[in-house]
Amino acid sequence: MSVEVEVDESDLAEMVEQVWESYLDPEGVSPLIPTYDENQASEVHSSVSITGSWSGHVVYASSTAAARRAAAAFLAMELEEVSEEDISDTLGELANIVGGNVKAMLPPGAQLSLPQVVLAPESTARYPNAARISGVYGLWEGEPVSISMWQISSETKEDGA
Amino acid sequence: MKILIADDSRVMRQIVVRTLRQAGFGDHDLIEAADGQQAYDMALSEKPDLIISDWNMPHLTGIEVLRQIRATGNNVKFGFVTSECTPEMKEAAEASGSAFFIVKPFTAERFDEVFAPILG
Repeated sequence: MSVEVEVDESDLAEMVEQVWESYLDPEGVSPLIPTYDENQASEVHSSVSITGSWSGHVVYASSTAAARRAAAAFLAMELEEVSEEDISDTLGELANIVGGNVKAMLPPGAQLSLPQVVLAPESTARYPNAARISGVYGLWEGEPVSISMWQISSETKEDGA
Repeated sequence: MKILIADDSRVMRQIVVRTLRQAGFGDHDLIEAADGQQAYDMALSEKPDLIISDWNMPHLTGIEVLRQIRATGNNVKFGFVTSECTPEMKEAAEASGSAFFIVKPFTAERFDEVFAPILG
């Protein structure tokens, strides 16, 4: 059975800030500006699943332009050099980094999956019996980026709601 | 020194290589493995002096790689660079003879702190 999650929005925001400081914005000139808009659009997303002491998904979603910019920053490349594979690999790693940091804050006995990447909006994803419990939503150089947590209900629902 | 970087993420291997260079360790011979099995195979065939490994990888996880390498009697310096860091993982790593634990996201300063004593 899942426990109450002990990772809140400020924890997520701190992890996101570290990712920006380390890889996406080491110069500290283009931070993620919060919008608090959980309905903001995305074009691509990636996720890792956590099972055990807490069960759910950590999802990174953004526009394609923001994903391209992230790949350029990760790989130290120019934007126009970035391939679709670079974008996929970067998205997978972003979900893995945030998911791993989330897992580290959970009670012992949680397992982290390998990342999944989908070059389609987060709104196309279906996480059965899971509800979004927290998230960081923002704009990075004007492009939408979000990181959110979906918790799987410990009760089995038959209506799929 | 020959350094083996094991991570299933090509992007992360590249970031590790770049961060090693930024921290001043770019002159070492850097080789890469794309999953746990390859890391194990290369640990034996390439005889690196240092292995920097991810934890969560296909085929063999990082800790399985470390245990299997140690089981052959090989005492190569080995440590983890991973996004996950729980007390149980650290304990398991240390019990198996891991020399360090670096958490992603990391900085060049963190690399310098960990690798300066090892690489000189």
